[in-house]
Amino acid sequence: MSNPKVELHIAGHGVITLELDQDKAPKSVANFLSYVSKGHYNNTVFHRVIPGFMVQGGGFEVGMKQKPTDGEIENEANNGLKNEHYTVAMARTNAPHSASSQFFINVSDNAFLNHTAPNASGWGYAVFGKVVAGTEVVDKIAAVKTGRKGLHDDVPQTDVVIEKAVALA
Amino acid sequence: MKLPSTEPRIAELAAPPSWATVDFISDLHLQASDVATFAAWQHYMESTPADAVFILGDLFEVWVGDDAVGDKRPAGADSSFEDHCVHVLGQTAGRLALFFMHGNRDFLVGPRLMGLCNTTLLADPTVLGFNGQRWLLSHGDAMCLGDVDYMQFRRQVRSSAWQRAFLAKPLAERQAIARGLREQSEARKKSGATYADVDSGAALGQLQAANAQILIHGHTHQPAVHDLGHGHSRVVLSDWDAAAAVPRAEVLRLTAGGLRRIALL
Repeated sequence: MSNPKVELHIAGHGVITLELDQDKAPKSVANFLSYVSKGHYNNTVFHRVIPGFMVQGGGFEVGMKQKPTDGEIENEANNGLKNEHYTVAMARTNAPHSASSQFFINVSDNAFLNHTAPNASGWGYAVFGKVVAGTEVVDKIAAVKTGRKGLHDDVPQTDVVIEKAVALA
Repeated sequence: MKLPSTEPRIAELAAPPSWATVDFISDLHLQASDVATFAAWQHYMESTPADAVFILGDLFEVWVGDDAVGDKRPAGADSSFEDHCVHVLGQTAGRLALFFMHGNRDFLVGPRLMGLCNTTLLADPTVLGFNGQRWLLSHGDAMCLGDVDYMQFRRQVRSSAWQRAFLAKPLAERQAIARGLREQSEARKKSGATYADVDSGAALGQLQAANAQILIHGHTHQPAVHDLGHGHSRVVLSDWDAAAAVPRAEVLRLTAGGLRRIALL
């Protein structure tokens, strides 16, 4: 069975294609595909961009308005997948099992985000896929100018908008 | 260390249906040298008809750690002011629901004090569900984004590493540090420095994230109602100073009829 793929169409930047690892991260993949299928990610922004680290999105509309989400999911960071360059993983609060819709794309090898132990400080961040096309689009996003907006740091000064997220058949 | 973190969900508290009246107070800055404000507060706490009282920060002028209270106080320490405050809080919590949120002066109030007074510590901000509406409660200092130096200071002192290191110092040393900080603050006030107000964009963002219409906060000592547009507003609590030329002691009272300010002096 081939892995599901999702295209993120980024306004003015291009298309990022993600391949999702259904076998190693079944819950995270099902969760992500559920948000894709109901259009949750359409017109959301990459609201947190830190070059050399990661670009994060999936939770805010244009104008930094937070979107309601479904419940929190189990953290699958103990699945052996590593937070390597161009992998995609779930963002979360300090609580290990608190991811909902927000995800991030690693723009370097972030080994310190990997699972080391089943406790609060060692759970890590669950990788559930990788960029298979459009790495240059990811690079462009990571290079945009950022600043402080409201209570948030590292917010792109010009919105980086996911026009639509499309699951490929 | 930067992490791919999401915003923690905003804490929520649903008022039980039995609550008819909810009071909000903040910025009393209680201190041993201000007997009048303490007396006004004590009288209020003993007599309010509210079913719940929310203290939205800066109840104390300064709080250097819960060991300022009770058995851990070193013998010979002359101040039992904190003990008096604990007594009032505990008595009040015996007859109504009492909640406390950290302010910028008393952010080191910890679980021991809350336990001693049977008071519930609230996260800043917290959404209160009351009478079918959502009210966003905050001290307010985290939204004064224009005060860049303070925001930096706040990030430092609110970090668990700083707090661990500070609380590990002897009580007397912490009190001395706190005195120094207050003197700096007083000097700044006397120099006529202006203080940043709550940032409207930040307030609106928090309200939208919380799916609430009205923000209730203290900190700025500038009681007012500000229209933030889009049906949102923020209501600012008054500070208390019973010893001032024009004494101030005010409660914001919420009932099914809405919000109303009540001057106690």
